[in-house]
Amino acid sequence: MNQAGETGVLLEHLFRRQAGRMVAHLTGLLGPANLDLAEETVQEAMLRALQTWPYQGVPENAGAWLFRVAHNAAIDAVRRRRLTAKKEEEAVADITEAAESMLERPDLEEHLRDEELRMIFMCCHPEIGREASVALSLKTAGGFSVREIARAFLAEDAAVAQRLVRAKRQIRERGMTLEMPTGKDLEKRLDAVLEVIYFVFNEGYTAHEGEDLIRGDLCGEAFRLVRLIAGSALAQPRVHALAALIAFQWARSPARVDQLGNLVLLEDQDRSLWDAWLISLGFCHFDSSVAGDAASEFHVQAAIAATHARAASEGEIQWGIILQLYDDLLLMNPSPIVALNRAVAVAKVHGPQEALAGIEALRAEPKLRSYYLLLAVRGHLLLDLGRREEAAGSFQAALECRCSEPERRFLRRKLGECEAEPA
Amino acid sequence: MPQYMLLLYDDPSTWQKVSPDEMQKAIEKYMAWTKKPFTVDSKRLGEDAGRVIRNTGGKARATDGPYSETKEVLGGFYLIEAADYDEAVRLAKDHPHVEYGGTIEVRVLFGQ
Repeated sequence: MNQAGETGVLLEHLFRRQAGRMVAHLTGLLGPANLDLAEETVQEAMLRALQTWPYQGVPENAGAWLFRVAHNAAIDAVRRRRLTAKKEEEAVADITEAAESMLERPDLEEHLRDEELRMIFMCCHPEIGREASVALSLKTAGGFSVREIARAFLAEDAAVAQRLVRAKRQIRERGMTLEMPTGKDLEKRLDAVLEVIYFVFNEGYTAHEGEDLIRGDLCGEAFRLVRLIAGSALAQPRVHALAALIAFQWARSPARVDQLGNLVLLEDQDRSLWDAWLISLGFCHFDSSVAGDAASEFHVQAAIAATHARAASEGEIQWGIILQLYDDLLLMNPSPIVALNRAVAVAKVHGPQEALAGIEALRAEPKLRSYYLLLAVRGHLLLDLGRREEAAGSFQAALECRCSEPERRFLRRKLGECEAEPA
Repeated sequence: MPQYMLLLYDDPSTWQKVSPDEMQKAIEKYMAWTKKPFTVDSKRLGEDAGRVIRNTGGKARATDGPYSETKEVLGGFYLIEAADYDEAVRLAKDHPHVEYGGTIEVRVLFGQ
């Protein structure tokens, strides 16, 4: 378990991590219908730490201390619930036994991981909507608060709280359990979990004004969750593919924004700033992802990211391979967004003229009609072709679409380039 | 150097919605303050209402402590060294307890 250092300095995010594990554990003991009670119990244990540690110092095994106090709080909560004497004694005995066995289990880490996975898989039950699954996973397994989730998703606190209340009601009313689904259901559920994880990562990764720390925490949580699954018996090749994809993309974040907070395009990024540790983890997971024949979208996306990661400089990017991979991806997922990304690779391989032809075809797509990125890519290609006035018009139109402040600044910069005298 | 007693009153409801991450940050701030060189001693009080001893008709009688009407309860104390009230107040103002909505009462120890 996590230890506090001798200096009393706690490991970063110890409480958040520990809260997730404790909620999962106590939900197992108190039953998913009592998820609220499990959360309150955990909150109480943390409050107890706040009240005593500053005066008495951090206990030697801070993680175990929190678990012990939470077990006691759970027993108090059970006693307050006015169950029949028999039921109360049974519940108390269960918790007491769990508390004792925790001290002796040689496989404690695996056991806690297993409990956490069960929790996440329940949070991603198909009857709970995607948005609610995301909020619930972050709240229960991730140890995020309502306010933190709201801030990360630029939502109102009340809206997030409402979503959680509804999800918990569904858990109660449908009698959902922490049992892992089996067979085909397990496969489906795993897909739902991976989608939620990738959604969390993308939310954290998308550039937003302020670059709030909490957004980086979302990326970290997504990566932690996918690796948690990758390290378990549930690890399918596509789990590793998603882990690789997240690692490669996240590795770029130090290079993605310059010192002024402006967006830097992938091709202009200083690759020496990419996080080498994450890149190497990405390749580890990528190697594991190629086991078996099944290829998921995550596989292809990870392969594209790996091709970028392999190039030492912008000039060494193997655009031919990337284009081929986009062709594969388009077959699996014929979405206009994929087609738009493919157009960038087309420009690199066959030149801006051909890419532009592809883009013009996409402009009719209702999904992309007011998508700033389509207009931005179009402007970029027109500028490459020397059609400055049209390029300026495209960037201007992009500025009128919904986009974040760093994206807006980027578009204004490009607009400036259109107006500058050719060198 | 004169010693001052800092009495920390807290409002437990403050912490109900605080995230684990914020809770950890709060603990770290409290602990950092406890380790400051001017801190002589610090103790946390039990959560119960305690007992009150009163002279009732010439006899010492103990009753259960006063269930305070106010939300704030005395939660702990610090003994610190400071040159004068001004310095003691300046140091106490910097305590994270204030940042998190608690109240601190500063009293000088007599006869030093």
